[in-house]
Amino acid sequence: MPLEILLALVIGGIGVVTLLLHVTGRSERADLSDDTAGLAWLRQFPEDDIHQVLISQDGHAALLRTSQGMGLVWAFGADTVARPLADCTLKNTATGLRVSFHEFAAPTTRLILTETERANWRLLMKPA
Amino acid sequence: MTDTLSYPDVTQWAVPFFILAILGEFAWIAIKGRGGRYETRDAVTSLIMGAGSVASGIVLGFLAWGFFKWLWVLTPLDLGTSLAAIIICFVLDDLRYYWVHRFGHRIRWVWASHVNHHSSQHYNLTTALRQTWTGTFSLVMLIRAPLVLIGFHPALVLFVSGINLIYQFWIHTEAIGKMPRWFEAVMNTPSHHRVHHGRNARYLDCNYAGVFIIWDKMFGTFVPEQDSEAVDYGLVHNLGSFNPLRVAFHEWVGIWKDASQSGLTLRQRLAYMVAPPGYSHDGSRDTSQTLKEKHLARHPEDAGTPGFN
Ligand SMILES: [Zn+2]
Ligand SMILES: [Zn+2]
Repeated sequence: MPLEILLALVIGGIGVVTLLLHVTGRSERADLSDDTAGLAWLRQFPEDDIHQVLISQDGHAALLRTSQGMGLVWAFGADTVARPLADCTLKNTATGLRVSFHEFAAPTTRLILTETERANWRLLMKPA
Repeated sequence: MTDTLSYPDVTQWAVPFFILAILGEFAWIAIKGRGGRYETRDAVTSLIMGAGSVASGIVLGFLAWGFFKWLWVLTPLDLGTSLAAIIICFVLDDLRYYWVHRFGHRIRWVWASHVNHHSSQHYNLTTALRQTWTGTFSLVMLIRAPLVLIGFHPALVLFVSGINLIYQFWIHTEAIGKMPRWFEAVMNTPSHHRVHHGRNARYLDCNYAGVFIIWDKMFGTFVPEQDSEAVDYGLVHNLGSFNPLRVAFHEWVGIWKDASQSGLTLRQRLAYMVAPPGYSHDGSRDTSQTLKEKHLARHPEDAGTPGFN
């Protein structure tokens, strides 16, 4: 197949699918509850016990106290990702907090937090 | 046989069909309200991985092609291009695919290339296109060598494996439950391949088939989809990035980090490259085997059921 036609098809195809998914509401991020956040954690770390779950006000992130320490579950598109917070670095942003995990496949996540929420989460994430 | 034998590059010609089928599946799910899920960034990442895979084939394909042409000069055998030869080549190439795919899950060096096909938490037709960019580096093209050496022209070998890849497109769907019984018995189907994409302990390391599921049944790796256990799609350790570069290269970076850490023996460094995924020199990580063992410790009632024997 001529390269120009292949290129046009690929770019056009990706464009059409992207637009279609976005306008039909498929870009919505997962909303978490105490239950779903806990399940999302156990889905990644089935051996753990969960002691406490705190959902962010925007509903897209959860802070968990588990048997292996503090952990974060966040909305990853319509799905979730869970990571322990042991080695993370935190940085304030205009809208909340940036969490860096020092992991190539899960480098950072940006949490949307209110001012008081952020102060509280920082304390829980990194107990001094 | 002439050296200028050429077949159409079937994967490229299939692109318009892929796009139409994706739109069709999406419409089906939207209208029926069941049969799968689509998410924008996940789908876009999959499509970009597919485009990048074709691009890497165009850029790096000459390496494998040169190797096959070299073998073709070496071999005195020529099985021709009769219909029978094409069919036999297709079946043998599917057996080749089974083993390449099995190595892809059991040898970390090959897994580093294949892992991205499993990196989505979704399962729809776009997932089928989430293909590797680094297949050339995994060196699995070596496993095609016997096909050329016994007398199948390199162009024919690439043609049938292109058809094989296209066959595997349609099975990446939740919109189809089960096919007729005879078909499920012989062919790889959406049901069998959903299981292959599962991160459930039960579904790890099974159903490596490309076109014919009989290879899994022959070599003891077949696990049927269980009504009692829905497939949880994705990786044991799910990715936290949609960035195609991170998706394409994360496991190679992982191999480098692991194998280059200080204080390891040469044997341990090698094991980080070629042992099954999840190997660690201090036992701090889980392989599919330890994941299954830990699952059975929590759920002893599952012992002896499919995927746990
Ligand atoms: Zn696979
Ligand atoms: Zn697949």
